[in-house]
Amino acid sequence: MNPVDDERMDEFERELNEAFARRPAPPSLKRRLIERRAAEARRQSKSEHAWLVSKQLAWQQLAAALLLAALVTGGVEWRIALERRREEAARQQVLTALRITSHALDRMNARLTARRHQPQD
Amino acid sequence: MAPDWQPDFEKLVDQHQSMVFSLALRMTADRGLAEEIAQDVFMELDRSLAKIESPAHACFWLRKAAMHRSADALRRRKVRGIDLWVEMEDVHGIQSEDRATPISARLEQLLATLPEPQRAALVLRYQEDLTPEEIASTLQAPLATVKSHLQRGLKLLRSKAHSQLKDYVRGE
Repeated sequence: MNPVDDERMDEFERELNEAFARRPAPPSLKRRLIERRAAEARRQSKSEHAWLVSKQLAWQQLAAALLLAALVTGGVEWRIALERRREEAARQQVLTALRITSHALDRMNARLTARRHQPQD
Repeated sequence: MAPDWQPDFEKLVDQHQSMVFSLALRMTADRGLAEEIAQDVFMELDRSLAKIESPAHACFWLRKAAMHRSADALRRRKVRGIDLWVEMEDVHGIQSEDRATPISARLEQLLATLPEPQRAALVLRYQEDLTPEEIASTLQAPLATVKSHLQRGLKLLRSKAHSQLKDYVRGE
């Protein structure tokens, strides 16, 4: 792979191999990594908790909105039903009044007819 | 691959921290940045742990992530390698025990002066003992490009070593 064309190059490459041996990592590297990992896990758990709380809050808001919508709809329905009942009652009252009037008129008519057929003195 | 192999994060850190840190250090020539990159790489591994299928896959994944993150960091900083070394000496004050021998230290300094693609190829070749095919797979680059980077990088490093380190390098 290398242009190793003589013994001198081999020697230089061996020199490079020795010079570029791995260096030990700083002793603090692992400790810092563990600390950073723990901090990240805490942060992630905190953000997950916040997400759960916000999700729970969203559900609560949705439930409250649905309940409110149901209450309003129920109220409106109840109001409409009440109006209908009142209308029906008023209609029944009018019909009753008409029936009474009709009955009175019938009686009056019968009396008038009876008087008309009485023999004249 | 062991079918029932389960990735253990802490074990993977123990096994590969030296590799990831060394790759980042040689690519960026900045100890602080290399440690930061190593941390980021392992945190990314932690998030992708479910996708890791075998120990070999974990090693390949870590190499690839370390090289990509180092390249990203270098692009962000847009500082030439030699300047990074100067900056590192000034700011981070590399301790002498970090360097095995003076020649190793000098070769690392010379490596830092190479263009990034050549540096990446040489680090993977001589630190990780990868073949050009494996390097191409790690860097997601064409094989011919990797071979070219290796040849040019080695030639450049050799000429720099010849002119600057002739007292140290064996056979020079």
